[in-house]
Amino acid sequence: MKWGMVIDLKRCIGCYGCQLACKAEHGTPPGVFFARVLKHEEGKYPTVRQLALPVLCNHCEDPPCVEACPTGASFKWEDDGIVDIDHDLCVGCRSCMMACPYTNRYFNDQPPQYYSQGMTAYEQARSARHEPNVVMKCNFCRDRVRSGKPPACVANCPTIARVFGDLDDPVSDVSRLIKERGGFTLHPEVGTGPSVYYLPP
Amino acid sequence: MNGMSAKYERLIDDLRQDFRPQREWGEGRGVFLVVGHFLVGVAAGAWLFGLLFAYLPGLLAGFVLAGLGGVAHLAFLGRPERFWKMARHMRTAWISRGFAGLTLFLVGAALYLPPLVLAAWPWSADSTLAWIGWAMAGAGMVILIVYMGFVYTASKGIPFWGSPLHPVLYMTYALRGGAAALLVEMAVLGPPGNDVLAALVKIWIGVTAVVIVLFALELQGALAGGNVAARRSVRELLAGRLALVFYGGTLLIGILVPAALVSGQLAPLGLGVLALVGLCSALGDFFMKYATIRAGVYLPLTLRRVRSG
Repeated sequence: MKWGMVIDLKRCIGCYGCQLACKAEHGTPPGVFFARVLKHEEGKYPTVRQLALPVLCNHCEDPPCVEACPTGASFKWEDDGIVDIDHDLCVGCRSCMMACPYTNRYFNDQPPQYYSQGMTAYEQARSARHEPNVVMKCNFCRDRVRSGKPPACVANCPTIARVFGDLDDPVSDVSRLIKERGGFTLHPEVGTGPSVYYLPP
Repeated sequence: MNGMSAKYERLIDDLRQDFRPQREWGEGRGVFLVVGHFLVGVAAGAWLFGLLFAYLPGLLAGFVLAGLGGVAHLAFLGRPERFWKMARHMRTAWISRGFAGLTLFLVGAALYLPPLVLAAWPWSADSTLAWIGWAMAGAGMVILIVYMGFVYTASKGIPFWGSPLHPVLYMTYALRGGAAALLVEMAVLGPPGNDVLAALVKIWIGVTAVVIVLFALELQGALAGGNVAARRSVRELLAGRLALVFYGGTLLIGILVPAALVSGQLAPLGLGVLALVGLCSALGDFFMKYATIRAGVYLPLTLRRVRSG
């Protein structure tokens, strides 16, 4: 079993729904985005178009962040291939952030609240799970996945641009889409073997 | 948002950029990492030349600087109270290897040095314990000289640091830093002999020449064969936000001024001048490391490049 994700760039409308769903699910502090949507314009007026590129941790087959971590805090679950962080082991050296070619790791040294009046009840409830001064990142919503639900970004995508499934299963939706639609990964030249694929726009 | 809003706004601004600069190593508390790497490199070099010239103050300086370097590393960590956990992943992580090297070095030096300094010490300088200390410190010194460049080369997110020359460059920095430290010490405390001082100056000149060549080759390699992020880093260094540090700190203070001093162009070559050469050289090395680290930008994530890649 190897969990993976396919993001159909033709369906993505850049609505930031995934980014907000992730924020709501994990209650990440200000400045921390496990899922992001990058926008890019190409062409010249009047033939201009905006492209949206949703990014998240690629849960690589050969994750450089795991190799670089001196404590073993960054690790890969053997049973499902998800790359995760044991926050009790992290010393906050941020070597994993330098090793990640996809810049999807964050150092949690910000105050956990958005407003100067202090934390809201929601922020208090959500931030309790986030240890300060350690590195954070997406874990494919592993708790949700283990209870049979899709990751929050997948569940909340209004255009069904995101598909989640088992990359090791040749008849799964993700495997079929990658094969039929020519799925590609970001920065294949780095050789990390990402588990997040994109379908061409 | 309160006082942290400036940092938050900058982060959001960084996330919008094609070329996101790395700020974790070298900015804010991240400066402690640069200081730590600088001090530990100088310490290892000073120990090496201290052994080579049988110069006890060099060994003592190496020990003290390595201790300070360790403290700087701790000050950088987000959770310094867990520092000992860094020894857990030596199989793949260069930081773990560096941690082991620093520990070996400090423990070894703590065993080897006291009988050389204090007459009434429980073990003598030629005892087995002192010999074990010498061997541990020697092994630690080699690791410290070697590991730092590999820490950066293993950072796949920052292509500018990925040059195969980077580890060699950091090794030469350590040698140049060690020679500089001993120049200052010999100028202040008096050299053990004029031939030793002359040899040290020759070493400093030789290593400096190697550093210049390697650094030029690294920049040339990034410009000619590097990807867009590596080229952007060189641009930041030569004509961007780090140009002042590079030209003022690295080139002027670190290379041109000491080179002019050593050549005797600015003043007659005496002990005071050599001390100044050592200080400028060390300061220049710090700026060189600082500028190189701060110039790092992440691989851009854009569809245009995804397609062309």
